[in-house]
Amino acid sequence: MTLHAAIPFDQPDLAALLAHSDATALDDLGFGVIGFDAAGLVQRYNSFEAQAAGLRAGRVLGQDLFLAVAPCMNNFMVAQRFADARADNVPLDATINYVLTLRMRPTKVQLRLAYQPGAALAYVLVQRS
Amino acid sequence: MSTAGDDIAHEQAQEHEALLQFLYMAPVGLVQLAADGAIQMLNPVSAQLLMPLSPDGGLTNLFEALAPVAPDLRHLCATFAAPQGTICDAVRLYVHADERSGGPQVMSLSMLKLNADRLMAVLADVTVQDRRERQLRKTDAWLNAIMTNITDYALVCLDRQGRVESWNESIERVTGYASAAIKGQHYARFYPDGATTEAQQLDRLREADENGWTLDEGLRLRADGTEFWGSAMISPLPVRADETTPPAPPADDEPAYCMIIRDISDRRDASESLRKAAYSDHLTGLSNRRAFFEAADLELARRKKALRPVALIVIDADHFKAINDRHGHPAGDAVLSHLARTMRSVCRQVDVLARIGGEEFAIILPSVALDDALAIAERLRAEVECTPATYEQQPITYSISIGVAVMDDTLDGFDGLIKRADQALYAAKRRGRNQVACWEPPAAEQP
Repeated sequence: MTLHAAIPFDQPDLAALLAHSDATALDDLGFGVIGFDAAGLVQRYNSFEAQAAGLRAGRVLGQDLFLAVAPCMNNFMVAQRFADARADNVPLDATINYVLTLRMRPTKVQLRLAYQPGAALAYVLVQRS
Repeated sequence: MSTAGDDIAHEQAQEHEALLQFLYMAPVGLVQLAADGAIQMLNPVSAQLLMPLSPDGGLTNLFEALAPVAPDLRHLCATFAAPQGTICDAVRLYVHADERSGGPQVMSLSMLKLNADRLMAVLADVTVQDRRERQLRKTDAWLNAIMTNITDYALVCLDRQGRVESWNESIERVTGYASAAIKGQHYARFYPDGATTEAQQLDRLREADENGWTLDEGLRLRADGTEFWGSAMISPLPVRADETTPPAPPADDEPAYCMIIRDISDRRDASESLRKAAYSDHLTGLSNRRAFFEAADLELARRKKALRPVALIVIDADHFKAINDRHGHPAGDAVLSHLARTMRSVCRQVDVLARIGGEEFAIILPSVALDDALAIAERLRAEVECTPATYEQQPITYSISIGVAVMDDTLDGFDGLIKRADQALYAAKRRGRNQVACWEPPAAEQP
């Protein structure tokens, strides 16, 4: 399956689509993609997100998402929802308005939080609003 | 093949990236803002701490983002006259978020002025530290009570009900009471009118039973009506062990507690100014959120031990933004100060009066049931309506809306009580403002 820039941020079942896409396909997307495993370590990081944050994937992959990469999401609005979904084994697909601190500038974004029970990775998707 | 210039550019890019990552990972919140509060730069931990306060806000202005927990911050920064320096150092902000959310309950904020239009803020989550300190403070109060120089003290024996059991000369020395005037009287006689309630006095005795001692500091009354700043420690007398008979509970009029009252007027100034800095709202002099939530916790803990009413009044100045827009912020501040003074004039000393938001105030009324709370709220509303605030000799008329709720057993904490009072406040606003509303259960639950 291939992805391209035309895939919208609000595409249904996006997490399943991303799980089956390779790194090149993720890099083609017009929004940020961060995939992280059950231990919270970043496993996927596309070039849109790298560009926005000013950090290349090499600096981020393998790091703890909520401690070392995006501490701004380490609260009940984001991190807690992933923890709850994993603990209760229920799907999570929610879109919220948020402010990220990309390159230390307050930036309004929409975050889509996506997790399917049984999937290896959960995803935070970032769209500039 | 790369040139020397390319190498330098590459090195700089690497360094820039490393610096960015350093700031992304910094474990405290850092914010750079303009004099009007506009956020220019902030790191992720700042957003982590600030976003739960304003889920719909865009984090464009720090004063607005922090307004729910630090309503006087704008005023504090605006009135800081020096060209640069520390505006505040590790001030505690009491978030009192829903405990289930697991977020920070207490934040520490430092503000630094760099020049006329550049401020820096440092934010940190100090929830755990704050909890530990609260426990230490209790121990400190106890140590203060026994370690400080004692110039004079009165030793009083109280019976089970808190009545003075016998007279001795130290009572006369410190409080001026002769034997006949005080024996058999309740120890509340040493408190000014309105400074305590009967339920509160009995609580103190129960607290002494449970902890071995209880301590409180405040204004006390001499026989001639003059006041002094006193510290009173009450501890239960040891039950005499009698080998032959099982211990019987002491009769009502037997000595059961020992109370030591000390005149510490000398120390009052020092401890009052410290207390003011930590527990008062900068603008109005009322309790701040920290003092308010600590008092609420205490009052509810006491209610658990001995059931009695607790009422909560929340107050909001109507159309306050319009007052600020029309007359300017200093006039708005004058209105808030006027409201605070009016609140003091209708309340007792034992009531807890606090500023809990920009133009939002609250009063905890211990041992007051719904009817009386509504009457007090109405008196306050009417008083505000008929006496305008003044700013630069100009009268500013304004009105307030009030929500009233009382604690009951279907609520499991103070958060629930605040929610009810807030709902009542919104009802008062919806019905056209300048009125008092009391919380009503949802229609579905009514028979």
